[in-house]
Order: sequence, then C-alpha cells, then structure tokens
Amino acid sequence: MDGRAMWQPWEEMRRLQGEMERLFGDLTPTWRWPLTGEYPPINVMRGDAHITVDALCSGVDRPTLEIAVLGDAVMIRGERKADPGAAEERYHRRERPLGAFTRTVSLGEPLDPDRTQATYAQGILTLRLARAPEATPKKIVIQN
Amino acid sequence: MATMTTTDTPAARREIERPLRTISPRVDIYETDKAYVLLADMPGVGPEGLDVVAERNELVIHGRVDGPARPADCQEFELAAYRRSFTLTEDLDAAGITATLQDGVLRVEIPKSARTQPKKIRVRTE
Repeated sequence: MDGRAMWQPWEEMRRLQGEMERLFGDLTPTWRWPLTGEYPPINVMRGDAHITVDALCSGVDRPTLEIAVLGDAVMIRGERKADPGAAEERYHRRERPLGAFTRTVSLGEPLDPDRTQATYAQGILTLRLARAPEATPKKIVIQN
Repeated sequence: MATMTTTDTPAARREIERPLRTISPRVDIYETDKAYVLLADMPGVGPEGLDVVAERNELVIHGRVDGPARPADCQEFELAAYRRSFTLTEDLDAAGITATLQDGVLRVEIPKSARTQPKKIRVRTE
C-alpha cells in the first residue's frame, strides 16, 4: 500500500497542534494528551517484525513496574513515589505528578506474550512486542 | 496484513529534521536541615546530555535529548530539550552542589552554608 496518496486526518491534526504549541512558546509540558488524557503517554511504531511502544514515565519506582500482554492488548502499571527523604511540610515547590497508574492499550493485532521484551532507560519504558504467529504477515504466491 | 508507514512522506521528513523544542522541566524542591533538594523530570536525557551549572547566584539545568530515528505511527508525546534556571541565595553553598541522574529524574542537592545550618544546643544539667 502506498501511504503517500492517502489523506491522513490525524497526522494533519497532530501537525496543527505542533504548530500551535510552537506559536505559543514553551509553556506546554513535554507530553501532550491529545485524545486519551491517560498516563503514561505513548508512541507506537509498527515494524515488519515488531511493534515498539515507548512510554514516557520518568522516575517510576522500579519494583512497582509491571507489564502484561493479553491478546492484542498491553498493560503498563507502576507508581511514582515521593522522595523518601522529604518531609511533607518542607516542600517549596511540587510540580511533579506522583501516584500509581495503569494504562491498557489495544494494538489491534494479536501479540505473543512470550516474546515480549521490555527495557526502562532514561525514564522511557520501551516495549518490543512480537506479533502472534497467526498475525504475522504471510506472502501469498500467485499461482497460474 | 499491510502496515502503513509514513517515514518517507515530505511531511514526515520535516518532522524529523526540524529542531527539538526546549521546555521547562517540572520540578520538586524540598528542604532538609542540611540542604535543599531539587528533583526534575527530564525523561530522555542521558548523563552525556546533561549540564548542571552553578554560576554566581544562578543554577542552570540543561538537558539535551536525541530526536526520534523515525516518526511514530501513533504519537502522543514528543521529546524536547530541557532548560530551567534557579536563583541561589547567599545562604547556600554553591561549591558543594552534587547532581545525580536516574531513570530520567535529575536530583540536585544544594548544601546550606555551615552558618545557616541549624545548630543543636546541648543542654547541660548540673
């Protein structure tokens, strides 16, 4: 399929939003919550062999981080905790969101949980999801 | 099953090539008896992309990130460079500042100068 000829309304909207943000300067936070308003925000990249999901979630307490794959959905769960050394009444500024989060995303293609890989580096959780064998594209040979 | 990628459209190329934005990271600042602790969310920044500079009465944190190798098929966030400055008051010991970076969170510890730290007065009993 040649994607160049297709009208891509979401792509256009995203670019318009980007232009608006540039017009209004740097007031907006790193993440945008365009349609879902859920945490963590994710980027999805579909490759031939894998689907890669990047989730922007810095400072998650590692033992609380949990990833599950079921069918075509992936669930990310974790918690951002307050610094243990900080007494509640001694904060001068508190802008960073804290608390537990769960997000489930359906990717529309059956996934193979046994071949899922996850890494957490520099505050970005990267999931490398393998398609289930039955969902792997098969090349059809034309006979005659 | 066909997977549509948008990497090779002119618009997608513009997305990759344009410079990253710079934004102000979200911070927490709290105080202990001996220091002020600053925590900043800077996901995407590695140790080599981070600068923490204390000069005169100003502390500047600056983080650089690498742009995406290719645009995402579904994108909810966009990495940006980070920059924010803070005023250091005279009761702080700028020479003793330490910084660590873990899981995208920068932690800067700014010691209070010795004369402003609380002194414990020992009560003598006779």
